Amino acid sequence: MKVKSSYIPYFLILPAFAYLLFFVGYPLVQALYTAFTQNGHFSLATVRKTFTDPYFWDALKYTISLAGVIVPTQVALAIILALGVNRVFKGKDFTIYALTIPLTISDVAAGLIWYSMLSPSGFLNKLLLNIGLINNPIYFFGYQYRHMEFLAIVLAELWRATSIVFVIILAGLQMISHEYLEAAEVFGADYWTRLRKIVIPLLKPSIQSALIIRTLFAMQIFGIVWILAGRDIPILAGEGFYRLTELKEYDVASIYALVIAGLSIILGALYIKFMKAEYLEVRG
Amino acid sequence: MSRKIGFAGVLVLVLLGAIVSGCIGGEETTSPTTTEQVTINWLSTQLNPPEERAFVQEQLLKEFKDQSGIDVNFVPISYSDLATRLEAEEQTGEVTIDLVADLHGGLDFFNSQAWLEDLSGKTLEGRTFISTFEKYATIDGKKVYIPWMSATYVMVVNKKAFDYLPAGLTQDDVMKGTEKWDYNALLEWAKNLKEATGQPQLGFPAGPKGLLHRFLHGYIYPSFTGYQAKNFDSPEAVQMWNYLSELWQYVNPASTTWDAMGEPLLRGEVMLAWDHTARIKNAIESNPDQFVVVPVPRGPKGRGFILVVAGLAIPKNAPHQDEAWKLIDYLTKPETQVKILENVGFFPTVQEATGAIPSGPLKVLAEGVTAQSATPDAVVAMIPNLGEKGGQFTDAYRTAFQRIVLKGEDPETVVKELGPQIKALFQEMGQEIP
Repeated sequence: MKVKSSYIPYFLILPAFAYLLFFVGYPLVQALYTAFTQNGHFSLATVRKTFTDPYFWDALKYTISLAGVIVPTQVALAIILALGVNRVFKGKDFTIYALTIPLTISDVAAGLIWYSMLSPSGFLNKLLLNIGLINNPIYFFGYQYRHMEFLAIVLAELWRATSIVFVIILAGLQMISHEYLEAAEVFGADYWTRLRKIVIPLLKPSIQSALIIRTLFAMQIFGIVWILAGRDIPILAGEGFYRLTELKEYDVASIYALVIAGLSIILGALYIKFMKAEYLEVRG
Repeated sequence: MSRKIGFAGVLVLVLLGAIVSGCIGGEETTSPTTTEQVTINWLSTQLNPPEERAFVQEQLLKEFKDQSGIDVNFVPISYSDLATRLEAEEQTGEVTIDLVADLHGGLDFFNSQAWLEDLSGKTLEGRTFISTFEKYATIDGKKVYIPWMSATYVMVVNKKAFDYLPAGLTQDDVMKGTEKWDYNALLEWAKNLKEATGQPQLGFPAGPKGLLHRFLHGYIYPSFTGYQAKNFDSPEAVQMWNYLSELWQYVNPASTTWDAMGEPLLRGEVMLAWDHTARIKNAIESNPDQFVVVPVPRGPKGRGFILVVAGLAIPKNAPHQDEAWKLIDYLTKPETQVKILENVGFFPTVQEATGAIPSGPLKVLAEGVTAQSATPDAVVAMIPNLGEKGGQFTDAYRTAFQRIVLKGEDPETVVKELGPQIKALFQEMGQEIP
């Protein structure tokens, strides 16, 4: 079979394109249709119904505030950990291995682990009670303790998902050529100056990838919240799921899905726009 | 070449997608085999989860085939799919379904559409159906279905909690469900427990997948107002919500994250809990000496509780009615009923089976369930069959709970707002308000 060589690239991307069309395009169109039509006609009734539900705004607020607390903390933590690990010391491999273990644990499992640690009869409370620091267990769960549930979610997410950021940042660090650092040292730059002027700027592409990945996942946060806080702390994915499975409100659930998709697209675009990677060679 | 590979790749992907998503495949053939070997089609909304399905196919139906030589094609199906298929088959007259298994509400609806055979004339030897179930299965003089399995929601008590019973209430009162075992006694008991142990010891499954709404519409509402929904916004209901808000001070706050009470009971986070029998079964099984199952408390209007009954019915003009009846006969035998209880945790509907349960955790469960069913002040509630609207019905009760008990809103305002919504659901479905 003879194929004009200029078509080959198109054929090569065809499988990927078909995949996206089938698994992303089709559901997206279906969701748009379900959300914006009623009895076959265009309608904004579902949008109105969703936006007048206080749960929606709570879910939006909590999803964004959870991401706002979790993602920056994770990036900061991951940079510190990666800088700490990125030098030669005994047990380096083991340290990296230990730090990445949570990566293999699903969010639901992580939620259950933290639930059993933080529950009134759990490890943390038993420890504190036994050493006499507290007289009554600290409650982390329940509607009355929503701020503690928020804290528990943040802790569990930091533990579980910092490792993915850590891996990306560490890979980025290892890419930085020692020549730059040695040259800076020759010119008398101290550790902080080297960090600020060389390491962080060169890390920007890695930080950008890590931020995009983490923020997008943070918009979809579900399992861990569902386990630790139920609907005490509503979140977008959880409300969408509840509407779909419990209330069979396919239209409202579609709006939730579209809001998550919309947020992800906007945030992704913002990161790409404002976090342009820098290369020392091409800096003017 | 690349095009061929690309195309084949796409084809494989699309096919895989279709199979995984369930568009293709999985549909079992319904035509009988060419010989006189009969295969009957049994569509069931019950026992659908994989492990329960495996129990039906590998144990029940295998044994049935050994005994009768009849092949059964067991088709797990959702209620809405079953209703659609039954309607289509009854309207075209080409009936392929021989037996349906569904909850009381669904079968009641199928009967109202005249899709079911009358089973009045037929008898089953060697068993007595529990009279409550028998009563519900007969609608307007017609025997609509044969009661098959039942389930309910009960209270579980950690035996340690009996040390803190309020004055005037005995362990026997609680275990038997006497007059004295009422919601005020529960409040006193929960209060004693919190004061004595320093922690709230009562628990409810109030998490997002928990069944608290069943407690609200099927237990405490009938106990205080006499009805599930009819008196939703009555003064008695306001009184009930005030009671529940007071009780909630002695309820473990983590209840709002719990979907099932088995684990919290086992972990020792609560000593008293209310939940569906299937969801506390693991606690009883792991620790049968630690827990007892008791009837729920009563309220001013009686002891409200839900009975879930699954029945077996034969569709009108089903092709293999005699064979289907043989399957019904097999499935309601006391031995089979005990086997069902042991494997999937549904309770028997025939009296002989209750006596045949070997002692152990299941006996503990069954005794509690029987004690509850036998209380003379019972106000039995059946879960309303609102189809797709069922979610909205339960959501209204959960919303009321959240606004009144958790957020502290005025009960009267909330019930006045939600009451008409609930009643409208029944009117839309053309049903009487329970």
